[in-house]
Amino acid sequence: MGKMYKSNSALRRFIMTIIFLTVTAVATTACGQNAADGENGKLKITATTGMIADVAQQVGGDYAEVSGLMGAGIDPHLYKASQGDVKKLDDADIIFYNGLHLEGKMAEMFEALEKRKPTVAVSQNLTEEQLHSAPGQGAGMHDPHIWFNVKLWISATEVIRDTLAEKDASHADYYKDNAAAYIKQLEELDAYAKEQIATIPEASRILVTAHDAFGYFGEAYGLTVTGLQGMNTMSEYGSKDVSKLRDYLVEKKVKAVFIESSVPKKSIESVIEGARQLGHEVKIGGELFSDAMGDAGTVEGTYIGMVKHNVDTIVAALK
Amino acid sequence: MSDFWILLTGALVASCCGVLGVFLVLRKMAMIGDAISHSVMPGIVIAFLLSGSRDSLLMMFAALLFGLLTTFLIQMFQQSGIQSDASIGVVFTALFAIGVVLVSLYARQVHLDQDAILYGEIAYVHWNIWELGGVNMGPKAVWLLGTTLLIITTVIGLFYKQFKLCAFDPALAAAIGVPVALFHYLLMGLVSMATVSSFESVGAILVVGLLIIPASTAYLLTDRLGVMIGLSVAAGVASTFIGYGAAVVLDASIAGCMVCAAALLFVIAFLFSPSHGIVIKKIRLRKLA
Repeated sequence: MGKMYKSNSALRRFIMTIIFLTVTAVATTACGQNAADGENGKLKITATTGMIADVAQQVGGDYAEVSGLMGAGIDPHLYKASQGDVKKLDDADIIFYNGLHLEGKMAEMFEALEKRKPTVAVSQNLTEEQLHSAPGQGAGMHDPHIWFNVKLWISATEVIRDTLAEKDASHADYYKDNAAAYIKQLEELDAYAKEQIATIPEASRILVTAHDAFGYFGEAYGLTVTGLQGMNTMSEYGSKDVSKLRDYLVEKKVKAVFIESSVPKKSIESVIEGARQLGHEVKIGGELFSDAMGDAGTVEGTYIGMVKHNVDTIVAALK
Repeated sequence: MSDFWILLTGALVASCCGVLGVFLVLRKMAMIGDAISHSVMPGIVIAFLLSGSRDSLLMMFAALLFGLLTTFLIQMFQQSGIQSDASIGVVFTALFAIGVVLVSLYARQVHLDQDAILYGEIAYVHWNIWELGGVNMGPKAVWLLGTTLLIITTVIGLFYKQFKLCAFDPALAAAIGVPVALFHYLLMGLVSMATVSSFESVGAILVVGLLIIPASTAYLLTDRLGVMIGLSVAAGVASTFIGYGAAVVLDASIAGCMVCAAALLFVIAFLFSPSHGIVIKKIRLRKLA
């Protein structure tokens, strides 16, 4: 028993030492940090997706320094924050996020952050009628992929404009002018998409992709949208989904299906193979940008370029 | 401040996991953390389907319930003669599969998995503040994990002798009248409480990693339980600090870096442990020859 008592006190000593070490080490690291950094008069804006960051930069122009958290080709459902991302969020004057659960559990953190700095969901002004509810689910569960309906994205632009104008009132007119110019471009884009999709013969206006991100796009521009995977890129598709989609392709004589930049293409390839065995040739119509934009510096690295790319790819393959 | 809270949270997780991990490693049940990380899935799905909300407290409660169920089933199977690794495997794969089936039946269109609903992220802890009457009380995670650590140290501290005896020689423990099964279930209860509250605060990989690796490191360094617990906690806390430093330098995932640091410490212990280290053994052999 004596021995046991001994190791017990050794344990206690150990725990005390560790608590002491932790406290001192934590205190020293914390003191080394300095919150203040270079004030160049610019608003520091952090956005979750590349699409939001692009709009924020367009509206903020010379008075905004925008950083996005999710880079090209990153699936927001699978995004993991790095230490630098924490800094970006900490340093930001304004944070924009998509909302509607696109960012998963991060949303809880944004709600908590809201108390301390302007943290705004760009989807906040959309009404119940404008949003798609996820089929078979209770109220409040909406399809988050709002950027595919350019009209809805105009609403997002307005949210960003109003937030910037409020936070930085001295440049409010500048932001409003920028936003007006950008919204004009978006309206042209919207018209372009409608016009282009209308050139596809009506029976061929069927968009088949790997996951259900294009619901808003289909509704806005008149395409029937079918996906293999659920809206969530994590949910697994069943064997029935594969054969159902295959039969659908054969029945409707769909010419092309599309792969997505942020979703592996293996799933859609198995459907193509299945259709081929039934004697129906389907080709891959090209790669669409869904949850993330193209690389920065390319045309597809902007919101407008990305939507144009998607429209042109779809039209070229289905016409 | 973000660094302070992240490190404190990491240290608290490391301490909870470090203490419990030792007992799990000794009982050859180290993979139980990973098992719980999967088996809470049906709990989350059922809670979501019944309530239609993603309220994190409710989700945590559901996860805790299934965490307890998991450990209970594992313990039960093991006591009826199935090997511990097999009983862990049976329970968590089956429960996880039930969760997957439920999602595919009822909730296809919703983001419903542990990642989206339960798992926190250590990078965000300092923004999730607990406010009491308008006063900033610090991150919720620190309170949650602090309470968990307090409960763990109290229970283990009170029944240290019993836990020790059950870990090393359950037959002897039973012979001298210790209710062995009760203490096994108690330990498992602590494990599921610690893992679920840590999942909610910092995510899965960090918890699973810190539950196994530092305890294994300590196992290589000593043969005494008290010292092993101390070393395990020390190795865990050191991993969180080294890992955080690496995450700053590399601009990488914080939890990922912390677990890598824990693995690095393990490798060092594996090579250079005075008693078990393979390099030390080689040197000793050479001296003999």
